[in-house]
Amino acid sequence: MARGRSSFGKDNGLQARMLFTMFLLVLVYVVFIGVLFAAGAGAVLIVGVALILLLLQLFASDKIAMATMGVKEVTPEQEPELHGIVERLCVQADLPKPRVCVMETSMPNAFAMGRNKKSTTVCATRGILQLLDSSELEGVMAHELTHVINRDVMVMTLAGFFATLAAMILQFAFFFGGGMGGGMGRSRDEEEDIMIVILVAAVVYAVSFLLLRALSRYREFAADRGSAVLTGRPSALASALIKISGTMERVPSQDLRSAEAMSAFFIVPARTKKSLMNIFADHPPLEQRLAALERLESQLQSAA
Amino acid sequence: MGLRDILTGRSQVKGPAPDRLFAISTAYITLESEHQIEPAGSAAIVFQALATSEFESTLKDMEEVVRATGGDSGTSVATQDDSYGYRWMVLKNPQGAPSVEDLAVGINAVSGSIETAGHGERLLCAVFAFTDGRPGASGKRVYFIYNYKRGFWYPFVPDPSGGQKRLTERELQIKAQMASELPIEPELERWFPLWGIPI
Repeated sequence: MARGRSSFGKDNGLQARMLFTMFLLVLVYVVFIGVLFAAGAGAVLIVGVALILLLLQLFASDKIAMATMGVKEVTPEQEPELHGIVERLCVQADLPKPRVCVMETSMPNAFAMGRNKKSTTVCATRGILQLLDSSELEGVMAHELTHVINRDVMVMTLAGFFATLAAMILQFAFFFGGGMGGGMGRSRDEEEDIMIVILVAAVVYAVSFLLLRALSRYREFAADRGSAVLTGRPSALASALIKISGTMERVPSQDLRSAEAMSAFFIVPARTKKSLMNIFADHPPLEQRLAALERLESQLQSAA
Repeated sequence: MGLRDILTGRSQVKGPAPDRLFAISTAYITLESEHQIEPAGSAAIVFQALATSEFESTLKDMEEVVRATGGDSGTSVATQDDSYGYRWMVLKNPQGAPSVEDLAVGINAVSGSIETAGHGERLLCAVFAFTDGRPGASGKRVYFIYNYKRGFWYPFVPDPSGGQKRLTERELQIKAQMASELPIEPELERWFPLWGIPI
């Protein structure tokens, strides 16, 4: 696919950072698995339960999220412009058409859900449809479709599997006062084993949490980039991000709190606090995203 | 997309598929003689116009090429932007002398120069306009849309009574009639409509 890169340069730095983050994540997980197996039978059960949860998450999370968020599918007659934009982008990206939904809230945002290209839903809020003009909306929808193309839901769910597992072990430990499996007559060795597992789980949870957040930020950059490549208009997305973030800060916080659960799917996180340290954020700061889009625009302009 | 592309989130825009545009320049004979679907004498190519000076100058050169090649046949060229920000380059045969071959050659010249300039991934589709001459069809427009990414054709028959409705039954009839002549898009969910086609 040499042609795809003709208007834009490569971004090897971003890919390298992403692969390095995943490498660290796998490293942490491998150690974790090793400790779990060393601890014996009780651990196998936990892994089994966690696997089932993972599958549930992969196959049902979008439906659950949609049901709880009041997302409604719209027909082309109801939202001709949104459908038109999505259809053209699908031709461009060679995707089958996803389900198109609208969420009736004034908060301007958009998200995409689905495991793969065949079962995808893209959703825009009423607020974003009113706020953005059509080229900006196109940029935002292209960003969301890039999440689908990149299989971000799948990647992030799988990447988060062992972090979820570690969290489960910690909860177990919390509820049963350090006892996981085994009866009252445990030997001193078993007690020690269990303490080690819990300690390791705590460390795994903390480290993988930060790594996952970093990974999520990199995926956002990749989706911004994908949007620019897909539409050929990096500045339209930049303009959309400025408009959205400007409005997000003025939205009352009560509305935002109820939206917090969906934050990972949104194009701009539903959060007002700026004091949060960057390493805990699942979206990169606006200035960095704008700077990346500006670089893409200048690459586009100077490509001869 | 390979595993590495998924892991690194490195999506690429697909370039054009192997070219099957010229399938229309033989298929129209069957359309006309057996199914009373007559060429309307116009076609258009739709693409994303990059807002760069380099792309604009490519377009300018291209229009000249099309005018020059269309000079003998009298094909005229006009451009317009639609509300989605896509550019339409509309080719028209001279009045009373529709020629699908001339249009296909012209469209191919446009897509060829966009590809040569390295912007093949910006091509969206080409549209050829026909008129349904069946009794009772009252001269409805029938469009044949060529999807550059897929290299497939599909029919698009908008409902002339307005609203964004399409006559799916008629489209499926045409698909059945033309399946042996035209490479028709096999996945129906990719028969994307184009509302407000200016030809």
